[in-house]
Amino acid sequence: MNATVSLTTPAVAVDIEGVNLSYGTNHVLKNVSLAIEPGEFFAFLGPSGCGKTTLLRLIAGFNHADTGEVRIGGKPITDLPPWKRDVGMVFQSYALWPHMTVRRNVAFGLEERGVKRAEVERRVEAALGLVGLAHLAERRPSQLSGGQQQRVAVARTVAVEPKVLLLDEPLSNLDAKMRVQVRRELRDLQQRLGLTTIFVTHDQEEANTICDRIAVMNDGIVQQVGTPMELYERPANLFVAGFLGTANILGGKLSGNGGTRVFEIEGGTRVPVPADAQVPEGAKLVFRPQHASLGDAGPAGDGMLALPCTVANREFLGASVRYGVRIGTTEVAVDVPFQSGSGLFEVGSGATLRLSPRSLLWLAA
Amino acid sequence: MTAIPTSVPRPRRIAGTPGQIALALAIAAFLLMFLVLPVATVIYVAFTEKGTSTFTLVNFYDFVRTELFMRSLWNSFYVSAMSVVWASVFALPLAYLTTRFVFRGAAIVQTLGFLPLIMPPFVGAVAMQLFFGRNGSVNLLLDDWFGFKIDFMEGLNGVIFVQSVHYFPFILINLSAALRNVDRAMEEAAQNLGSSGFRLFRRIVFPLAMPGYLAGASLVFVKVFDDLATPLLLNVKDMLAPQAYLRVTSIGIADPMGYVISVVLIIASVLAMWLSARALKGRDYATTQRGGGGLAKRVMTPMEAVFGYGIVILILALVLAPHLGLLLLSFATIWSFSPLPDAFTTAHYARVFGESSIYIKNTLIYASIAGGIDVVLGVAIAYLVLRTRLIGREWLDWMASAALAIPGVVLGIGYLRTFYGITLPDGTPLAALWITIVMALAIRRLPYALRACYAALQQISVSLEEAAENLGATKARTVRRIVVPLMAGGILAGFVTSFSTAAVELSATLMLVQSNSDAPLAYGLYVFMQSAAGRGPGAALGVVAVILVAACTFLSHLIIERSQKAKGMGH
Amino acid sequence: MLNRRLALAATLGLSLSASFTAIALAQAPAGKVTVVTSFSKDVTDPIKKAFEKAVPGVTLEVQNRNTNAGVKYVEETKANNQVDLFWASAPDAFEVLKGKKLLTAYKPKATGIPEKIGSYPINDPAGFYFGFAASGYGIMWNDRYAKANKLPEPKDWQDLAKPVFYDHVSIAAPSRSGTTHLTIETILQGEGWDKGWRTIKEMAGNFRSINERSFGVPEQVNSGQVGVGIVIDFFAFSAQASGFPVKFVYPSVTTVVPANVGIIANPPNKAAAEAFIEFLLSPTGQEVLLEPGIRRLPVNPAVYAKAGADYPNPFTDPRFQKMIGFDVDKSEGRTAVVDTLFDQMISFQLGGLKGVTKVLHEVDAALAKKPNDKAKALADEARVLIAAMPVSEAQAASPELRGAFTGGKEKGARQAEVEAQWASFARDNYAKAKARAEEALKAAK
Repeated sequence: MNATVSLTTPAVAVDIEGVNLSYGTNHVLKNVSLAIEPGEFFAFLGPSGCGKTTLLRLIAGFNHADTGEVRIGGKPITDLPPWKRDVGMVFQSYALWPHMTVRRNVAFGLEERGVKRAEVERRVEAALGLVGLAHLAERRPSQLSGGQQQRVAVARTVAVEPKVLLLDEPLSNLDAKMRVQVRRELRDLQQRLGLTTIFVTHDQEEANTICDRIAVMNDGIVQQVGTPMELYERPANLFVAGFLGTANILGGKLSGNGGTRVFEIEGGTRVPVPADAQVPEGAKLVFRPQHASLGDAGPAGDGMLALPCTVANREFLGASVRYGVRIGTTEVAVDVPFQSGSGLFEVGSGATLRLSPRSLLWLAA
Repeated sequence: MTAIPTSVPRPRRIAGTPGQIALALAIAAFLLMFLVLPVATVIYVAFTEKGTSTFTLVNFYDFVRTELFMRSLWNSFYVSAMSVVWASVFALPLAYLTTRFVFRGAAIVQTLGFLPLIMPPFVGAVAMQLFFGRNGSVNLLLDDWFGFKIDFMEGLNGVIFVQSVHYFPFILINLSAALRNVDRAMEEAAQNLGSSGFRLFRRIVFPLAMPGYLAGASLVFVKVFDDLATPLLLNVKDMLAPQAYLRVTSIGIADPMGYVISVVLIIASVLAMWLSARALKGRDYATTQRGGGGLAKRVMTPMEAVFGYGIVILILALVLAPHLGLLLLSFATIWSFSPLPDAFTTAHYARVFGESSIYIKNTLIYASIAGGIDVVLGVAIAYLVLRTRLIGREWLDWMASAALAIPGVVLGIGYLRTFYGITLPDGTPLAALWITIVMALAIRRLPYALRACYAALQQISVSLEEAAENLGATKARTVRRIVVPLMAGGILAGFVTSFSTAAVELSATLMLVQSNSDAPLAYGLYVFMQSAAGRGPGAALGVVAVILVAACTFLSHLIIERSQKAKGMGH
Repeated sequence: MLNRRLALAATLGLSLSASFTAIALAQAPAGKVTVVTSFSKDVTDPIKKAFEKAVPGVTLEVQNRNTNAGVKYVEETKANNQVDLFWASAPDAFEVLKGKKLLTAYKPKATGIPEKIGSYPINDPAGFYFGFAASGYGIMWNDRYAKANKLPEPKDWQDLAKPVFYDHVSIAAPSRSGTTHLTIETILQGEGWDKGWRTIKEMAGNFRSINERSFGVPEQVNSGQVGVGIVIDFFAFSAQASGFPVKFVYPSVTTVVPANVGIIANPPNKAAAEAFIEFLLSPTGQEVLLEPGIRRLPVNPAVYAKAGADYPNPFTDPRFQKMIGFDVDKSEGRTAVVDTLFDQMISFQLGGLKGVTKVLHEVDAALAKKPNDKAKALADEARVLIAAMPVSEAQAASPELRGAFTGGKEKGARQAEVEAQWASFARDNYAKAKARAEEALKAAK
């Protein structure tokens, strides 16, 4: 995508405050509040049914909150109909109108705004140029590939220079290779336009790779908001930990207090809890596979935690080897960097799982 | 979910599966047997030279040379086109308001808006005259109050008025079905880009519903073009269909011109259908990527609501006035040259229930079977035309659509000629069985169901079927489990149209009725309306018919609404 | 009933051979007898009831069709005929059926029925169909309509040509309605070809509409959409019986003609068909005709004793004796020509005809105030142009012209050609007449 003309508008903030939405008894959004910064590339991430698309459509004006407010650039838009909101949305299905050519599709929003014909032409060219499809302007949507359709949908939306860009799973209809390419293009485009963008996805990799910040949603509730790294490093709860990356979760019981707290894992192994660690009520022990290592049976040294375990399975991933090891009845994953020549643990053999206490998290649901 | 399907036809085999070929052949055989052959036995006269049976086109030369026929041809075109315009004016607001908005009583509006189509013959005409005629209620009151009259029912404009009131439901039904199928994302995308209100409708929603609109509009056009009852009722004779009818049914005159005109009617109808199909060609209207779940109903602002309900009530009042007249007539003792009847009575209903329940029962049976046959054929033909590459598949469509243009009386005579010679073991002719009436009804109403099915299938994305095939469903099972359920709205619309118009069909059935016990309602009406004393009972029978058919229609609308609700609750 | 009648016949000593009685008894009518009729339920229901009571074991199956459709139906199904009887008004329809050999000859045994009613023979001389009731043609009008529009009571055909009736008169097309055809033919026979057509066209200039169904006319008059209709009498009588504010008059030139019944060729139930004819002609059957909903004139003079005093009796009423005779053969010979002339010169040119008529009415009004010879001469010229016919009476009955309408056999002029000629003849003449009339109007003012 080579932008010949840049379409820019001053970036605005999107504030969502105390939004509740129900369909009958189905409480879809529960007291959702978010502050999205101007120019930010923001993701709503969560499994299907978590309310992320509902929230996006609410911003676009297709759904209506029972309570709460949405502000764009500080101005409440709750009472505005969709066509007065000036937020551009790219639909999951692209929703390209089959009875119009690509050019007519892209020109549509401008024409609706009463933009002069010459200006429409110029901006259509610019928008199509932006997505690299100027040469396909006279085609009908049905004559385009999926990736091309996606770009037309984006061009159609940015052509009107919306204040906010909403993307509803824009990559889900593309193949894996296209997906990687298009997400880069989207990020690139967003950067150049400086447009506040909200991106709905269920794919954590998509969110991680292109978004500045992510709101992880589940069951109509915003679980946590943060940069991809924050969410990975410091998930707020078990859901976030499990949804972003792989997390090993061990149930157990906390006992003692102050500096002598001990977490006893199901099966009997006792893990000392660092004095500064936060352990919420009913918490479980969480660690990432790459923060653990495997060693021969034996005592741990240098403050490392050592848990006896049995190797249950083994997968070669290239850069690392992932072992499934059993601690008591729970199986956890451990990633060991692969170095040629080094020995591997055989399935069925005993081993010791070593963990730095600093990499341990205690999270509740 | 996949991308928007490519309309570029994917390479399929030229011939099609053996099942498809068998299906196509079966339909072709059916149409040949019950449509082409009977009609051919009647209209071949158009191509023979007088005095001999040699082939000639001189009769068509006569047609072109005769001022009356050319005037009739032009009048027919003019009236048909104007009727489409007015029918659209009536149908568009009703269809749009009831499908795209949260509209209380949408099912009732849809049902009431459908009623004009089921105007029973004869009595309907009388009721219309009593209301809108030169000395009808409206004009008598106007004359009384303001000293002028409006010629609602005079000349070509009268025909246009009555026809557009009568046939606008075709557009209403088909357009509503199409509007229901427009993917909400299509509309939302436009709103998101700043479009709203009428512009949104004009630029996005309406074009996307175009297959449905064109299906309805072409039906209206062809139907008006081929209708003879209304012009004759209004004593307008210089139109083609009445000319054909008058000539075909005059006794003692063996004139080919009636059949020549029939041929012209058939050609014009097929042409109109072909043009409407042509207009959609090369465009992709499959907009239901979500599997038919595309209904975004908006809530109206108070102002919009007042306006919307106002318009709906106004239109309904206009188009239902004939039914109101019918209702009054059915309770009237004497109604003559006065705005309202002299007095009221329920005696007519007593007489109808005493004498005529057999007509009603027969009608319901015949019309249901005919409607059933029509939707089966309609789905099959639509599927073959739109989803296979069978050679000559369009001919099935043309053939079936041509039925629209064949005057009922020509079909009736054709049936008598073709099936009267065939006798059953006990000596009764095949044509004497009531099933012959059903076949005639089915053939006459097939184009309605076909257009509805066609439009419904056109809006379904091929990818939905491909997905099913991909998951291991055979073609037949895909049709049964995916296509038919997704077409349900269109199929039901087709059934309702066929059913209810068959229920009040007159011309072909009148020719084929063999005994009172097998006679349908139209025959009962005909018998009643032959005398002054039968006017009230005739109207009462008409009211009963309308109520019955309306009840069936209402029920099916409820079903549509429910299934749409079940499908539409996505997010 | 039949048995009783036979007994009656025997006691009266009428000639009935024993062998015939035996045959009649051996073929005692039973089962279903099917009749195709144009008569309304009001007529058929009481007769069906009375017939089934009189001849137990026989059910009358009534197939209601208009006359044209009925003839067509019988014709189309002749290969495997299931119909026993044809029962309708217009003798012409029976003539067509007879001509196509679709009727069976029969000799009714009923007595007391004269040969003629007025000057019209009651039965087909060849014995293919039989009159069972009579009807006369006349003018029916809606009283409320007449009062509202200040119309005088019409008495004769010529009255309908008066300016005051402009746009108030309705008629059925003779090509569509056998009874109207007879009305037109009656005028033509009564007044002669040229004068008759002149009367018809002058009347037609006042027509509001030309209906394609004969019942359409009384319906329009009943509901008050049109003021005056040219109809067969029982339409008016039964409307009056139902309470409609309508009146009826027999004009001076008209006739009573019988309504008929005949047996179809190869009837499935011949015995029952004959029994039905015998019933219709019997005193019991004849009396049913007096019911207010039917109100036909019985053909058995004795039955009128049972009718009310004001019931018209064509056998004694002097008005009916004046009525002209009607030549069925003449009528039959030119049916298609007369009907087509009417359609091409009047039905399909009604706009032109009404246009010139309206101007002529205005000329008359102007002349009444201030006589003007030049205007009068021009108006007369216009009237001559309107009245002109493209064919003479002799030509109308000529085989060449008739051949054009039979469609088959001999080669010759095609109907469409002939029609186009007549239509343009009428159109040109009306246009010329209008020019004269407008000139006359200018002169008269």
